[in-house]
Parts: sequence; structure tokens; C-alpha cells
Amino acid sequence: MSSNLRIQKISAHPGPVPGAGAQRQQTVAKLIDTTTCIGCKACEVACLEWNDLPFRETVFQNSYQTMPETAWNYWNLIKFTEHNREDGTFQWLMRKDQCMHCADPGCLAACPADGAIVQYQNGIVDFQQDYCIGCQYCVTGCPFNIPRFNPESKKMFKCTLCTDRVSQGLEPACIKACPTGCLHFGTKDDMKALAETRAQQLREHSGFAHAGVYDPPGVGGTSVIYVLHDVTNPEVYGGLPSNPRIPWSVRIWKGPLKWLGNLAIVGGLIGVTLHYLRFGPKDVEGDK
Amino acid sequence: MKLLRYTLVERIIHWLAAIAYMYVLLTGLAFYSPHLYWIATLLGSGPTSRYWHPWVALVFLASIAWMLRAWIADMRITAADRAWGKAMNHYVRNEDEDLPPIDRFNLGQKYFFWAMLWASIALLVSGAVLWFPEKIPWSLRAVRYIAVLVHVGSALVTIGAFIIHVYMGTAVVRGGFTSIIRGEVSAAWAKTHHRLWYERIVKRDNLGPAHRAR
Amino acid sequence: MTNGWVDIKNTDMMLIMGGNPAENHPCGFKWPIEAKRQRNAKMIVVDPRFTRTAATADLFLQIRSGADIVFLGGFIKYAIDNGRIAKDYLLHYTNAAFIIHEGFELPEDGLFSGWDGTTYDKSTWVYETKGGADSPAYDFTLEHPRCVFQLLKKHFSRYTPEMVERITGIARDQFLKAADLFTSIRKDGDMKKAATIIYAVGWTQHSFGTQIIRTAAILQLLMGNVGRAGGGVNALRGHSNIQGATDMAGVFDILPGYLKMPVPADADFKTYVDRITPKASKPAPWESFNYWSNTSKFAVSFLKAMFGDAATKQNDWAFHYLPKIDRRYSWAEIWDDMYAGHIKGLLAFGMNGVAIGPNAQKNIDALKKAEWLVVCEIYPDETSEFWRAPGTTPEQMKQIGTTVYRLPGAGFAEKDGTFVNSARWLQWKNVAVPPPGQAKLDQEILARIFLRVRELYQKDGGKFPDPVLHAAWNYTDPHNPSLSEVAKEINGRALADLPETPVKAGQQLPGFGLLRDDGTTSSGNWLYCGSWTEAGAQMQRRGTDDPSGLGVYPNWAWSWPANRRVLYNRASCDPEGRPWDPERKQIWWNESLQRWVGSDVPDFKADSPPKDHMGPFIMNPEGVGRLFAPLADGPFPEHYEPTESPVANPLHPNQSSSPMAKKFKSALDKYGTAAEGYNIICTTYRLTEHYHYWTKNNPMNVQLVPEPFIEIPVELADDLGVRGGEPLKVTSARGHYIAKAMVTRRIKPMTIDGKKTYQIGLPIHWGYRGIVEDDGRTALTLANMLSPAVTDPNAFTPEFKGFLVKVEKV
Repeated sequence: MSSNLRIQKISAHPGPVPGAGAQRQQTVAKLIDTTTCIGCKACEVACLEWNDLPFRETVFQNSYQTMPETAWNYWNLIKFTEHNREDGTFQWLMRKDQCMHCADPGCLAACPADGAIVQYQNGIVDFQQDYCIGCQYCVTGCPFNIPRFNPESKKMFKCTLCTDRVSQGLEPACIKACPTGCLHFGTKDDMKALAETRAQQLREHSGFAHAGVYDPPGVGGTSVIYVLHDVTNPEVYGGLPSNPRIPWSVRIWKGPLKWLGNLAIVGGLIGVTLHYLRFGPKDVEGDK
Repeated sequence: MKLLRYTLVERIIHWLAAIAYMYVLLTGLAFYSPHLYWIATLLGSGPTSRYWHPWVALVFLASIAWMLRAWIADMRITAADRAWGKAMNHYVRNEDEDLPPIDRFNLGQKYFFWAMLWASIALLVSGAVLWFPEKIPWSLRAVRYIAVLVHVGSALVTIGAFIIHVYMGTAVVRGGFTSIIRGEVSAAWAKTHHRLWYERIVKRDNLGPAHRAR
Repeated sequence: MTNGWVDIKNTDMMLIMGGNPAENHPCGFKWPIEAKRQRNAKMIVVDPRFTRTAATADLFLQIRSGADIVFLGGFIKYAIDNGRIAKDYLLHYTNAAFIIHEGFELPEDGLFSGWDGTTYDKSTWVYETKGGADSPAYDFTLEHPRCVFQLLKKHFSRYTPEMVERITGIARDQFLKAADLFTSIRKDGDMKKAATIIYAVGWTQHSFGTQIIRTAAILQLLMGNVGRAGGGVNALRGHSNIQGATDMAGVFDILPGYLKMPVPADADFKTYVDRITPKASKPAPWESFNYWSNTSKFAVSFLKAMFGDAATKQNDWAFHYLPKIDRRYSWAEIWDDMYAGHIKGLLAFGMNGVAIGPNAQKNIDALKKAEWLVVCEIYPDETSEFWRAPGTTPEQMKQIGTTVYRLPGAGFAEKDGTFVNSARWLQWKNVAVPPPGQAKLDQEILARIFLRVRELYQKDGGKFPDPVLHAAWNYTDPHNPSLSEVAKEINGRALADLPETPVKAGQQLPGFGLLRDDGTTSSGNWLYCGSWTEAGAQMQRRGTDDPSGLGVYPNWAWSWPANRRVLYNRASCDPEGRPWDPERKQIWWNESLQRWVGSDVPDFKADSPPKDHMGPFIMNPEGVGRLFAPLADGPFPEHYEPTESPVANPLHPNQSSSPMAKKFKSALDKYGTAAEGYNIICTTYRLTEHYHYWTKNNPMNVQLVPEPFIEIPVELADDLGVRGGEPLKVTSARGHYIAKAMVTRRIKPMTIDGKKTYQIGLPIHWGYRGIVEDDGRTALTLANMLSPAVTDPNAFTPEFKGFLVKVEKV
């Protein structure tokens, strides 16, 4: 954890966040303009190189996509989709898939381990493997299918948004490597403005009437935002959820159910105590 | 006169289940609430607790399975149980003399047994999903969502049952606790709490001093 | 490139065709993207496959491989018919008004005038002269029936949208949409906007490749796009230093700086220089700079660099030390000669000749006949292990007598020196890591070989030892010359004080303007003169200032010629010297200074006022751009079918393919026809994830694309009953290739001349040595076992694109 990053949220942490409010940091964001992505995979390689992740053996699967999904040691994957639009034109969509760094992170909500997942004040959601217990509740909590389990170390991994680089004032490795400028990094406000400008340009000059910015409100917005040719149909971009939310069951589980359960347990204990005080034990006559 | 209520094997299995359940309960509680996470630390560490929780749960389930096989005959709910059940308010008020006679287990114990059994099955199924969530395809992710609720819900059912079970077995029914330790109960105890069983045993064993329960 | 990578950001319109920059030039592709983002520039992509470039395009058209001239010709016709041409530009800056010799005939039947059954007599492919050989006749009204413009118009009148549809497979309405979009920049005579054409080996690798590029050049001249910021005809060079290799004569028929190679008829230096120096030939009222009139200065300076003091006026500057070429020695010819037993040995440095092909099996068999082979590489490759090519039995291996020497070379990051990029920039790079183990730098390997050979000549004599004995070799460490010394030598220096200049003997020359033909200057390549001056290594500069905002970056590295970023930039102004687009001012005439000034270096005689009407294309003796340019296979581009084509040429079925394309006649040079069942068009290409035949040795690249594959349309897969991932066998008349099928909707079936036709695509990156190859996970076949040895008559590039195959399920 870098000294320049201040924590905003901690998973499974009773009580207030230490140091909260001591200093404000601007929310950062990564902008991915899918309309200028060329699927070159430089970001994939940069991610592996910077994070010192190993090479892996892959197999050809009738696609340019390196592998079907991200992996515990492969955090950044371009998803390729051949898509026929309704107007009969054809599109080859490429979307860089990685952790979205939600403002309201489902992984953090679901995590039972104190401090295993933190959200920095700049919006980065980071797994702290030292505290991770490997329960994989985050897998269930994430609406983007991102956290991955390392069966060897029994820890969870995902994109860190290069906290180590960002805390030193550098852009994430993927951004650095992107040759076309399809990836941008900056404050959330700046990225949002840039994205909106681009989306407007796509609507006005490129004939993409539904071009827009993907910054899903269901998770409070994300620190990774996309410009999509058709923001009304994000699912076609390799399964980008159209309205991601923290799963309802995780909300119930971590909300009402927990309090209901606590109440039931405490109520049960009180009940038996009262019963004992009122009725006492059952003695069997002649058994003294 | 002493009667053998639980054989040695039954007692061992019971305590195996009890210890396993306690472990799973405590570690489960640690994962259930941040305020109880210290339990995990106490029991080794978060990762250790997480690692053993499902394995110990399997031990618990194995003991439950054994109990099911051993006690299924005794756990069937009979007409006598239903009569007892109607008069249960007397039992609660310790007016045991007003209760109809019952066999080896009373309706409460049977409910406890069945509740634990079904909850355990639910915990097993939902636990498997939680154990290997990545094995559940993304398209079936609703299964994961249901699993977390089922797991917590069933666990709460067992906790409720467990509280009553421990309370009844230790504080309320005097002699009950000894019976699961040493296996024996007094004839008077048996006559009071499980008259039909008592009579059955006395008759089967020809009224001699009890050596065998069944 | 006439322009440069960064300059693409200035464009309003892009036609990307015969190239796939998103995949093969991803870093440069930022500039097309920049143009789209900053200028709302439109991008039209035309390719046999829906590529990753197409994925970002505004309009994609799937073309049949090899039909490019028809498509571009259709554009030319559309531009002329709809008046979307640059009239003033055409008149003043091209040879549109020039009148052509009376006997000249257009190829209505597929042949231009002068065909004698084997080659062309080009005597009619010339300008009609008026009052002297150096003064072509002209008609500024452009109405003379034999003026270039009228001939051009007539020539391309056959390239109708219907014909485009028949030959290219592009639906008429789609073609018209593209033509309208591309030419829209000249709507209503507006000259402000500029369009660029971007291409790569998808154009060059045809038996008529040069003529495709000519068609593009004609289109750009017609529309007034050459010389302009955001315009031009831009070749994307495939390898990091392929531009430098060409500049430094990595081609058999040129010397460094594009000086023509001597031939046996050049009895002495004067005959040679006279032959290769063009005479100014321009309309009488116009001026022509005719820069090649300086040829003798470049040639003498080159010979002084080569042979130093051994080159004197008395011995004709050692001209006779240079080899004379009696015929073609191009790539495919080398292998043919070796296969025929004429070439006994080969030095293969940093290239994998077997895998490169074409007709790879012929190359393998040719090496079996060689006496020796030296391969300098960083990995074991197919060439150095040609003797274990798949299908070679142990018995056959024993028969191979070739001695193979493998030299461990250094990778690009292990040596310094320059890369010359597509934009003609010489950019110096530093060493990142030292070469591993016993690996040595290229220059050390070459120097050691040279010095040993020289020693042998000194000791034993030889047939003609002089060129070797007298070659200048003045390096601090002769066994390992430093590349900075070599770079300085290439730039050139003064050998004596240069009169009327401040340059003293021994000083580095500031530019090629100071080169002399009296032996007082030396320069290894006149085009690079100015790259390492007394002011230092210009190629090492890293200045990022860009005063004009046009991406000129005059202080970043050094661009040949003369640090000029956009060639022919005089044409960015109207005849009066005012920029066509005041928003994009590159250079302009400054009346008070009486000079051309601007953010770029004027590609012009700096003090020639507009009223003198000097032509902006100073390297042509006419001073103007050539719409009519006599190449080996015609002065206008004509569509010919690829050597292997599923249809007869709809324009002239009796002259279907190019009469000038060179086919080879060895037993292994077989050509297939549709009648024999070869009815699927195959094109080869490269992937962004791999670099040629190298990265199959690098786990990172292998992870990104692990295995060879064959892209086939869904419909063809259905016909074959094959699913994605199942193995396919592709067979041509020359060999076969086995890889997994990639079933895709990105290649669609086409209708060519009424026939349903399939195209398939084959990435080339695999062979029989590499990670997956050594693991036994591929079929060990080479993509270029399929491709034919047929070459373009101008550039001698083989036809790697658009040959015929059959496809079957394995």
C-alpha cells in the first residue's frame, strides 16, 4: 500500500476508516474509447510486464482473443466480438476487460475479511492479499465477473489500476502502452468530459446515434469508463452488463439479513435465559 | 437402576458433530459479521479459518449422515408425538406430569434432528457453490446469489436450534447432559421423560437392571 | 512516404488500402486516429478481410485481392466525371497538358502500343516535342485528344462502377458511396481539404504492384493532394529499418541514394553518368530544377566514400571497381539462380529466406544445392535448418552437402545505430542490453569477414582484387567499426577546403548542396548528407517543439532529404505561392524576402519566384508530377488479373494477366488454374501479435496468438463441414499448408464476374522452428510453400497476395 494513497473504504471493517477525511484526493479514472481500440493487446502485455506476471500457454479458440476470460494472473484482456448491427452493417468490437473500480464496489461489500479489500480516496479498489482469506465472496459480489482465485496461494487477484504507479504520479501501465490513444487516464471529471466529447463527436460525425459513455450508476459509477458506439447495448461488447448492480442477494445478506440474524441469535439467547429464570430445570422425582 | 440411553458410538458421533459444528459455527460467525471477525483470528487466522471451515463442515455432515442412518427409526414422528406436541405447553412450563408418554425422543428432539438435517443439506449445497464460485458459469450467477442467502439462512436455522438444544440438554433437562457423556439415565428419568421407551426397554430386557438400551 | 506518420493527423480523408496499419503499424496508427478525433477526418478501408483497421473505419469495403487498380481507376473516373479534381494543380503541377507521341495506343485489348510479343518497345510512350527534344508539346486547355489528361480520361473511362463491381466484387452502390466520400473533399472546386492514401505490401505484393501505387499517385495528383499536409501517397514500411535498407541500396539495381547501378555498357564514368542523368524536359515557358542534374556530384562523392584516395580523377573515380549488373538479381531471381546451380553460397543476415518464400520449397531445395550457407540470426530458424524441413527423410538429409555456418547475431536492442522509419526519419537508438553469450554485432561480423577476405586477396591475389584491396576502411577499430563512425562517413565530409563556403577540409558536410564532382567531397549516401554535421548527430536530436502545430517537429531526429518532412511541399501552395489552405501553412513565398519560407524545409529552389513557374516536382526533369509515366508495363496503370485468378480479365479476357509479369520456369514453379480445382483466392498477411518469423520464439507473443490458423468465411466452413478450431489443409499448385480453421464473418463470399468466389486469409508467422513448433503443436508447414514465384516487372516484388488454392478438411 503506497503512502500517497489514502483509504476511503475497507472491507469488513468495524468502526470508522482510520484517517478518513484527513485529506481529499481527486477520483481518478481510466477512459477506454472502444471506438478507437485496435485490439493490439499492448495493454495485455504491459499489464503482465509491469506486474511481473508469468507467461502462460494458451490455445487457439477461433478468435483473436487471447483467452476466454481474465485469470488470477492475467488481469487485462481484450474481448473480441463479431457483431451484426441491426442496420445490416458489421462491426468487430474490441473491449479491454478489467476491474471497473466501482464507486460502490460489490467485492468490497461482500468481503468478510477485515482490510482485504480497500477503496482508496482516489477511487481505486484494491485487493490486499495479506488480509485476503480466499473465501471468494468477492466473486459473488462483483457484477462484472472480475475477481479471480489463485488456488495455490488461496488469494484473490485482479487489476490494481497500477496503484504502485498511480501513487507515484504515473499512469497505469496499460495506458502507457496504448499506441492509438484509445486509453486515457486522469481525474474522473476530466475523463468524463473527454468521453462525453468523443461520444458527441461519434453521434454527430460518425453516424453512431447511440454512442455514449458507460459509467454505470448502479454501482455508483466506475473509475473505468467506456465510450461505446452503442451505449444502449453494452452486452454485445463481450458481455459488458447493461445495468450492473451489487447483486440483490449480497445486499440482503450484508444488510437486513445480517441484522435479522443478529436479532434472532440474541433473541434466542435472551429467550432461553428468561425461560430458565421463570421455569428453571426439570427435576425428576426420586432421582435425587 | 440405570438404563443405557446412548451407546458409546452414538456418544462419540454426537460429540464429533458437536465439536465440528462449534468450529464451523464460530468460523462461520467470523465471516458473518465484521464484529465477530476476531474469532477467526483467535482460531488461527482468517485464511486458516477459511481453509478449514468447509473441511470441518464435511466432518459435521458425515456425522449427521451417520446419525441419520442410526436414528432414523427413532426419529419418525408418531401419533404419540403428535399427542405430546398438542400438550407441549406443559413441557415448556415444566408440567411434565401432564404430558402424554413418548418413546426414545420427544417431538422437540425430533424437530431438532430434522431441522439440523435439512439445514445441513442446504448448507452443503450452498456451501459447495460458495466453495467453488468460479465453477459456476457467469450465465448461472443467480445460483451464487441464491447460495449466499441459503447458506446464511440455513446457518441461522441451525443456530436457533442449537441454542435450544444446548439449553435444554444442559440447563433444563437435568440428567440429559450426563446421558450424552456417560450414556446412562436413571429409571426415574426415563420413566418421566420417555415412558414408552422406558417401558419398551424394561419389557425387552425382562426388567432386570438395565444393561442395554436397545 | 511522401509525407510522414505525424502528418497524417492533418488529413481530412483517408483511404487505407493494401495495408493494415492498425495491426502492422499500431504505433503509427495513432495518427489516423488523431485525425479522426481532432479533425473529424473520414477513414475508408478497403481490404480482402475486415481487419482491425477496418474496425475503426467509417466505411469498409471488402475487395477481391488483386483488384485494386480497378477500384482506384473507378475513383479516377468518378473524380473526373464529377469535376472533383484540382484543375489549377493539374494544369500547373502535373503533365496533364503534355501531348503524347502520335503512335501511342491505350490498352483496349490489354496491350499498350509497342508490344513485340515478349516486351515493350516504349518509343511511342513519350511526349511529343515542339521545338527541341527538351521541350514537350502541351495544350493548357487540356482538350487536345492526345494530351495526357484526355488520354487518362479515355483510359479510365472503361473503369465504370459496373466494371468495378464485376472485377472487385464490391457492390456498385457501396463503391459509389466510397467514391463520393473520398472525392467529396474537392466538392465545388474547394482546395482547402486534403486526402491521404495509405498503403503497404497489400499493394506491392502483386505482379502489377507498382502500377497500383501509380494509380494511387495519379488519383492524388488529379485531386491535388500531393505535397500537402494531410495528403500524399504514403507507403508504410513493414520493418523497422526497411526504408533505410532501401535508401542504402538493399536492392540489386541501385546504389545508395537511388543512384542507378552501372551496367556493362557503361564503359567509363562519363558514359555511366550521362546515361543516368536526366535532361530537363519541360514546356518552354516553364522552369525545371531537374535536381538529378547533380547526379555526377552524388556519384563521385559516393565513390570517394567507397574507395577514398584510391578514387581519383585519373582512374575515373574508381568507377570500374563497381560491379556492373547484366540482368536482374532480385530476390526471387537469387533463389532461382541457386536452384539452377549458379549461386554456390549465401550469406543470410537477419532474414529467413526459406520462410519468406515465395514458393518456399523451391528455396529449401535451392539451399540443398548450395555449397555453403552462412546464417547470422538470434534464433535457430527455418533457413539455417532447411535440411530438416518437414518431409526430408534421414536418407535425403545425408545427401545434402551444404555446409551451414550459424553466427549468433545481435538483436535490435543490443546494438545502436539508426532506424529509418516510413517517414524517412533517421532516428538514432542506443543499446539497451549487450548481446548475450558469443553473439556479436553485425558490423563486427561483417568487418571480420571483410578483413579476412582482404587478407586472402593480399596473400593469394585473385581475379580482381582491387575493389576489395582499395575499399576505404578507416575505422578506429577496423574489426568492429562503430556505427557513429559509419554514420558520419555516410553523411560525408570535405576532403579539401571548399571554395566560397566556410567548410574546411576534414569537416562534416552540412548538406548535399555542397557535394562536388571534383573529388573534394565524399558522401556514402547523398540523401543522408546533413544527418551528421559539424553541429553534431542530427539523427540523435530529440527536440519536441512544433511551432506550426502541423506535426513538423523540425528538431526531432532528421528526415531525408535535407530534414524535409513533406516532399513536394511547393505543391501545397497555389501557382502564386499562397498555401491552398491558410489553416495549414507549410511553406509559402515571401515577397519581401524573395524566398520560400515556412515551418518545413521548402522542397524547391528557395529563391525561385512563383512567376518563373518552376515545377514543384524537382526530381522529375519536367518539374511536374507524372500522370503519364512510362514504367516497364505501361505508362498508365491497367488492370491485370493476378497470375492465378479465378476469372479471365473482364476488360480483355485474351490478355488476362500482366504480359510483363515475370514467371519462373523451374520444375518447382508451377501455377494453378481454377479449372484444376484451385478456385479459392488466398491472401497472406501478418498479425499485430507477431513479428515475421521471429516472435514465434518469444513466449509473450506466442501466448497472444499461440497457433497458426486460416481465416475462412462462415459460408465456406459450412460447405466444407468444418468448425472453428478444426484443422484445414490448404493446397496450391506448389505445396500445402495445414492449420486450424478460424471461421469468421469478417470475410464474406464475393461475386466476381458473376461467379461466387471465396477468399481466405493466411497469417504467415509459423514454420518448423519455434515454441509451438518444437512442442509438436503445429503441422510444421510454411505459409509460403503456397505462394507463387511471380514478380512485378518494376520492383520485382513477388505476388504473395491473391493466388489460388483449394481447401479441404483434414
